[in-house]
Amino acid sequence: MGRKMIVIIDFGMGNLGSIFNMLKYLKAEVMISSDISDIENADKLILPGVGAFDNGMNNLRKLDLIPHLEKKVLNQKTPILGICLGMQLFTKKSEEGKSTGLGWIDAETIKFSFQTEKNNLKVPHMGWNSVKIINSKSLFNNMNDDTKFYFVHSYHVMCQNELDILTTTSYGYDFVSAFQSRNIYGVQFHPEKSHRFGMNLFKNFIQMI
Amino acid sequence: MLQTRVMPCLSLQNSKLVKTIKFKNPNYVGDPVNAIKIYNEKEVDELIFLDITATVEQKKPSFKTISEIASECFMPLTYGGGVNNLDDMKTIFTLGAEKIAINSYGIENPSFIAKASEKFGSQSIIASIDVKKKFIGSYEVYTRSGTKNTHMDPVEWAIKVQELGAGEILLTSIDKDGTMEGYDLPLISKICQAVNIPVIVCGGARKVEDFSLAVHAGASAVAAGSLVVYHGSVQGVLINFPSKDELKKYGLIQ
Amino acid sequence: MRICNRCIYDENTPGITFDENGVCNYCKMHDQMEKEYPTGDDGWKKLEAFAEKIKKSGKGKKYDCVIGVSGGCDSSYLLHLAKKKLGLRPLAVHFDNTWNSKTAVENINIVLKKLDIDLWTYVMDNDEFNSLAKAMLLASVPEIDALTDIALTTTLYMAAEKFNVKYIMDGHSFRTEGITPIGWFYFDGKYIDSINKQFGTDKMKRFPNLWLGTWMKWLLMGIKRLRPLYYVNYDKEEIKEFLRKEYGWQWYGGHHLENRYCAFNHYLLNTKFDRDFRMVENSAFIRTGQISREKALDEIKKPQEYPAELISEIKKRLNISDEDYEKIIHLPTKSADDYKTYRPTFRKLRPFFWFMYRLDRVPKSFYIKYCK
Repeated sequence: MGRKMIVIIDFGMGNLGSIFNMLKYLKAEVMISSDISDIENADKLILPGVGAFDNGMNNLRKLDLIPHLEKKVLNQKTPILGICLGMQLFTKKSEEGKSTGLGWIDAETIKFSFQTEKNNLKVPHMGWNSVKIINSKSLFNNMNDDTKFYFVHSYHVMCQNELDILTTTSYGYDFVSAFQSRNIYGVQFHPEKSHRFGMNLFKNFIQMI
Repeated sequence: MLQTRVMPCLSLQNSKLVKTIKFKNPNYVGDPVNAIKIYNEKEVDELIFLDITATVEQKKPSFKTISEIASECFMPLTYGGGVNNLDDMKTIFTLGAEKIAINSYGIENPSFIAKASEKFGSQSIIASIDVKKKFIGSYEVYTRSGTKNTHMDPVEWAIKVQELGAGEILLTSIDKDGTMEGYDLPLISKICQAVNIPVIVCGGARKVEDFSLAVHAGASAVAAGSLVVYHGSVQGVLINFPSKDELKKYGLIQ
Repeated sequence: MRICNRCIYDENTPGITFDENGVCNYCKMHDQMEKEYPTGDDGWKKLEAFAEKIKKSGKGKKYDCVIGVSGGCDSSYLLHLAKKKLGLRPLAVHFDNTWNSKTAVENINIVLKKLDIDLWTYVMDNDEFNSLAKAMLLASVPEIDALTDIALTTTLYMAAEKFNVKYIMDGHSFRTEGITPIGWFYFDGKYIDSINKQFGTDKMKRFPNLWLGTWMKWLLMGIKRLRPLYYVNYDKEEIKEFLRKEYGWQWYGGHHLENRYCAFNHYLLNTKFDRDFRMVENSAFIRTGQISREKALDEIKKPQEYPAELISEIKKRLNISDEDYEKIIHLPTKSADDYKTYRPTFRKLRPFFWFMYRLDRVPKSFYIKYCK
């Protein structure tokens, strides 16, 4: 058949159904699993996530997924896409919690803070916002500045290495909305809820080698 | 720039789409999945589905319908109606809804809102507040599809739900529902000034300009019912949504 | 196989005869209709005369006519003709059988919005329509979408009665749709009812069936039916392009695909019943000079293309397994002759219906096909 299997990691956090539905709609080979053997056999991985940082890290530990994921991602270089909390878990730590993150990318997660009462900006950042594409290879191939995604988060990532930044988004200030370090991708927004824009992003992820 | 969210707010009765006027006389409008397919195409920002008879008829949310709706929905989906326990909420989230709207049960058991917010995160909990104007001009909160008067002041209740951990408020004017007379702008101002969480307003929208007026009154997001299911002065059923150009014209998108 | 020398109806076409020049009787029927329904200046005069009558009958009322719309090319153009060119005040009327394509819905939206025309709809219940559709499939008859044709007719009458309007218009054009061979597509309210009684699971509740009694009431109320496009020189490709430029109207990617259930009916007609309606349409195009006979013969040699999702959607919505679908498709074919219909009654009432046809209350095609 030749089609690559994408495994959406089920670690008890997040809206797996929507991601599954969109990938199925795009005719990808996809499954939801927390099974270690499924993850080990995956061609690509997705780490979703909605909820709190510490809960996320604890669940990953409880399911004993971390060593196996590190083998897949850091050693075998399997492409992995982190969505929302998933993206934040790739960082070293988060202001939201006490736990350390996976530390797979030189970045940390901080809370939105606005110096002045800028336009009454509310937290969480919730709704549709545009992305400024800094690097259009890989995930953002064939997309233009018209591209918008659905965001809902109170914390965001700060990258130490500017070259890791794929897109930024403006909410009070510019923050990192997507990054990539080698085979590790993270998006702060929810492509599975961003209709054709999300579909384009997933298409790029599916077609990536 | 964060856009103002503009979304259809649709009512379900026995898994069919209906449209009410002042919360009465539900008119059959069609099948929810057919409607979603069109809204998907129109790239609406979000979708809200409220089951208007679940609580009154003491029925559980229809998981089958929610599943069918969620599997076709490629934008954020809010479900409300008859939600009164955390297990059902977990099921609904797993089926693919992003947010759940809590109404009657939340007023009757305020701690439920706090529990739900703690378990699922405040960003996934919407407190749905239905409001009617009193004879003398002040407002009161109603529950159970507008059949039970709680005599509560909506401003007080809005502040309370924010404290309890709701991430957003869905504010619906029962008097304006289905009338296409325009939103209740004074009500919107009152509530939005009292809270910091986003308020989605519903009830009375008749054209895109109304969205803009609601935003100026303080709304973070706007919802419409009749406007997006009817066309013309005799209200022929036709699923529709304002075009991007129209929304741009009134400053709702850049 | 013998084929008409002028159009492309062949010898297997029911009721066909050929004259000494090898030209078929359907071509003659077309020529007769050309005489009866002129285009050009004569046609325009007739339309203006009708428009005057319509305007007069509509004085003091909110609308002066109702027009059936589907989002398709013909009805969209008719809206333009009625409002912009004839100055009428139409109410658009739509029967939603729940299988509309998104494009069709959008087309209705943009055309009505731009022309500022109101809409009245009758929305069918999903489950009930699916149940009736399944009954039609099990009955193994070719006219499974008779459901929509009947329901739209009833809906138009309901709207006419509700808004006290005496004129119903539809976008049928014999110059583009041709003359359906006798027996290829029969429908009446009793036919559908008999099939539902035999194969359906429930009584009709929301389905707006056209019962003879109700229809006669409407006929006696004086509600007339007109087909204005009969008087217009109608090149389909030109009209599509015009609608696209003027209104942003969109082609739905395939004939009949504005409604997926209608598209499935045509798929069935073609595969199970060996009735290729492209033969009917292309013959009309030949007779009106829109296509050459050679090109038409080539066209119908091409295989009919349908999106694969169409069949899977039918199976899903009608709740039919893959095996059951195969069984149903291969049932021996039946027709209106195998079920109770109103046809014997129509024939008995022939003088009445002749009178109704002369008063423009029933289409000529109905009188010729159903009452004789």
